[in-house]
Amino acid sequence: MSLIDLQTWLLGEGIRDELDELTRRTVVTEIDNMVPPDDVAPIAEIEWSRLLLAGSVLARSDYRPHQEAALRIATGAVTLSTSESIKDAGTVLLGKLSNFRAINLAGKRDLLTADLDGRLGMSLRIEAQRRQMDQAILVESSGRWLQVNDFQQRFWKDAADHRWLSASAPTASGKTFLVLQWLIDRMRSGEARVAVYLAPTRALVSEIEGSLVVLLGKESAVQVSSLPLRDKYDAALAGGARLIFVFTQERLHLLANILGEAIAIDLLIVDEAHKIGDSQRGVILQDAIERAGRANPDLKLVFISPATQNPEELLADAPEGVEVAAIDSDAPTVLQNVIVAEQVPRKPKLWNLSVRQHDAALPLGVLQLASSPAGLQKRLAFIAAAAGERGGTLVYANRAADSEQIADLISQLLAPAHPPDPELLELADLARKGVHPQFKLAPLVERGVAFHYGNMPSLIRLEVERLFRSGKIRFLVCTSTLIEGVNLSCRTIVLRGPRKGIGHPMEPHDFWNLAGRAGRWGDEFQGNIICIDPQDTNAWPVGVPARSRYPIKRESDAVIELGDGLADYLDRRATATLPELEDSGHFEQVGSYLLANYLRLGSISQAALAKRHDPATVAKLDERLAAIASQIDIGPEIAGRHPGVSALGLQRLLDAFRAYEGDIENLLPAAVDSQDSYDRFVTIMRRINEHLFPAFMPDGLIPLHALIVVQWLKGFSLAAMIRKNIDYHRSRGRAFRLPVLIRHTMELVEQIARFRAPKYFSAYMDILNMHLRAIGRADLIEHDLDIGIQLEFGVSSRTLLSLMELGVSRMSAVVLYEKIARDDLSKEDCQAWVAEREAQLEGMDIPTIILREIREKLLPENGEQAATSKE
Amino acid sequence: MPAKPLTIGSLHFVKKGDASAFLQAMLHRYDVSDKVSAADEQVLRDTLALHPDAEAKVGCGITHFSVRSADFGTKCFWINRPDGTTEKFSYKACITG
Repeated sequence: MSLIDLQTWLLGEGIRDELDELTRRTVVTEIDNMVPPDDVAPIAEIEWSRLLLAGSVLARSDYRPHQEAALRIATGAVTLSTSESIKDAGTVLLGKLSNFRAINLAGKRDLLTADLDGRLGMSLRIEAQRRQMDQAILVESSGRWLQVNDFQQRFWKDAADHRWLSASAPTASGKTFLVLQWLIDRMRSGEARVAVYLAPTRALVSEIEGSLVVLLGKESAVQVSSLPLRDKYDAALAGGARLIFVFTQERLHLLANILGEAIAIDLLIVDEAHKIGDSQRGVILQDAIERAGRANPDLKLVFISPATQNPEELLADAPEGVEVAAIDSDAPTVLQNVIVAEQVPRKPKLWNLSVRQHDAALPLGVLQLASSPAGLQKRLAFIAAAAGERGGTLVYANRAADSEQIADLISQLLAPAHPPDPELLELADLARKGVHPQFKLAPLVERGVAFHYGNMPSLIRLEVERLFRSGKIRFLVCTSTLIEGVNLSCRTIVLRGPRKGIGHPMEPHDFWNLAGRAGRWGDEFQGNIICIDPQDTNAWPVGVPARSRYPIKRESDAVIELGDGLADYLDRRATATLPELEDSGHFEQVGSYLLANYLRLGSISQAALAKRHDPATVAKLDERLAAIASQIDIGPEIAGRHPGVSALGLQRLLDAFRAYEGDIENLLPAAVDSQDSYDRFVTIMRRINEHLFPAFMPDGLIPLHALIVVQWLKGFSLAAMIRKNIDYHRSRGRAFRLPVLIRHTMELVEQIARFRAPKYFSAYMDILNMHLRAIGRADLIEHDLDIGIQLEFGVSSRTLLSLMELGVSRMSAVVLYEKIARDDLSKEDCQAWVAEREAQLEGMDIPTIILREIREKLLPENGEQAATSKE
Repeated sequence: MPAKPLTIGSLHFVKKGDASAFLQAMLHRYDVSDKVSAADEQVLRDTLALHPDAEAKVGCGITHFSVRSADFGTKCFWINRPDGTTEKFSYKACITG
């Protein structure tokens, strides 16, 4: 019998029943408020020696189910058995799985007796030590050894000798931790002067930036920034502190626009790289990567993705001769129990729980709810509150509004803490002052419950995440922001019919990206995924999805493969009026990308993507692009500066400027403090809709959108914007619901002021400046801060920008700016202003969390370090 | 009631309604935030002179006129003064006198 045959037999037959029993026992310990079934045999009956032997055989397999079984046996031995020798054997088995974090956890929880090495026989001891040495990597810059698992070790080795690398591993395999360590090592050892870490969302940008700051400590030889400004970049190139930028793809384009095509990035890390397939922003990511590669042919490029099927796909466009490597891991690091919850017939407060194991469901017992769950939200809330009572419980809600309501329901089942935790009170204070006195988050966090969605201000969101990690927030109800890449794990996740966006059932790989967060490696031995009503086809159209990995496919490839759709769109783009194109976002983005490529190369058959498509399709697209290109004279350089904005739209806008008969100054925006600033934004939005792309629709909402943009640029706090929105509704006698109005204002800020407006206003200004130069009116060109950057960060004054360059979040910067008279302070001036008033800060009625951030970032001796900046 | 003619500067209108339509068409040629052209500016100066509060509206003087938004999503003419202050005015008020 070969080894693989033996492993297959063991799992399918040999230890199947014992493993099922062990699974039930390990999972039952995880769930609160449960009555176990009557037929459970005592623990002593588990035949540990047989299981551990099987476990050591299974541990040698690369096949995930085998590794999971070995991990289950090792975990069971360490956590369930009372025998020292069995615990020791379980620990050795964890060592064989390179799961050193689980061993450390067992030590922290006093599950192991000290001096394991002394109890092991000579040969086992040598083997264990050899394994520890084999599974360690040397951090060159510090000379320190880091203990790693197999995936982490392969990454470290391959990253050293390959220029392009694509690494894929499931959530919670220590990817981010390792990549950040590696990045810092590269920077410290001087192998890169300027590195960019790309993350798909602002939430992840903040998180990665924060992690880097902590890892770097007080070191000043490496700086971190998430602001696309040139000062630190120039300093790094001139031999000053080396620099890590943490950006979204849009911010990388902003920086490239400022620096020109000569932007010199040595190292580019693309996190959540499977998002190259995202509708509308995937192609912007692809464009950003290609732009960095064009500027530096020696660019070192690392892609990181969660469990993906084909990480090698990302390496397909590597230049000839570049060494590439794909690292793929599917090894489990923590046990993940898929548990289904079904109501006991006729008893709505009782729910049968069973754990999925191979194709069977092993009954665990009956969960008792505190109250009858009438309605779907209550069902989700009450099951989560009961099963995850001990905390670390994440609940998935399909919409932001649902997340608030479910969190509210959970909070009503919990007794308030006496005395309330001071950190929770501080967060509640921040929510009241930073958003609105009646923002629902405030009373909820006081009870240890919170909600979390994408449009929330980052300072609040990060604090919610921090307190959830620390255990003070016991229940967190979240939306799909978490699948978009916030590294937040939990002990238990509870879901019912998860959707992504509005109405679309979640794809299996999205479900598993989310569910994979169950299990905090190194903090817990197991994670639990509780799926409610698995038989309900409305909730789960294809049942609870089997474990699945992302297929990587570039958005550009996916759209081209749709057949004639794109070619037809390009035809329509050239002839139709813009309002007819309103709902064609994905064609517009990819069409713009192809058009920019065509203008640069003269044919897309020369582009890297051509090799992936039928030559006839490429020729047909080339033909349409040629027809459009014949109408365009703006040149490839300016087209390449505005990814996702069509060069044809840019040309039409230029044509409109050329044809404009009024006073040329009418085309300019005004500084936000100018009386006509709002009106000018209204008109510019209309011009953009008419000539560039229908980005601000419907037309009737333009006044509202312009108002939000002006308030945002003026540096209004979110709380002030919400107050003004309330006043506006009241003054016009319009009815409103406060929670909806609060969420809507947050959404407008994120989607209009920070996403659409910078994208299209930047393009507008570039074309306008081009026109002004052409007509000899370059005197009208303002050389202030780029409008795109002003909007991305919501600042228009030098002081506010300086504060944010120092690492203060916008929310804190705005609060502090209300106290600062001058609008032209440099970074040093801001630090001096705070230092002079340190003793008075307490009396300024500033929320504690904001005060803490101000002290950390502006008074260097108080904080970790000051060499950072963030949104 | 017979239609009342109206004269604005060098422009003569058979009835006030014609003057109103003329000024409305002028207003709608502009986008909000636009500066009024030199040719139209003279007409507006003459129109403003007919306003019941003309003196207060003009104040310390007029640098130029512009079109900006007014209440409830509408737009109207605005006076811009040398001291940086601005004030809107209704051409209808000028016509009715």
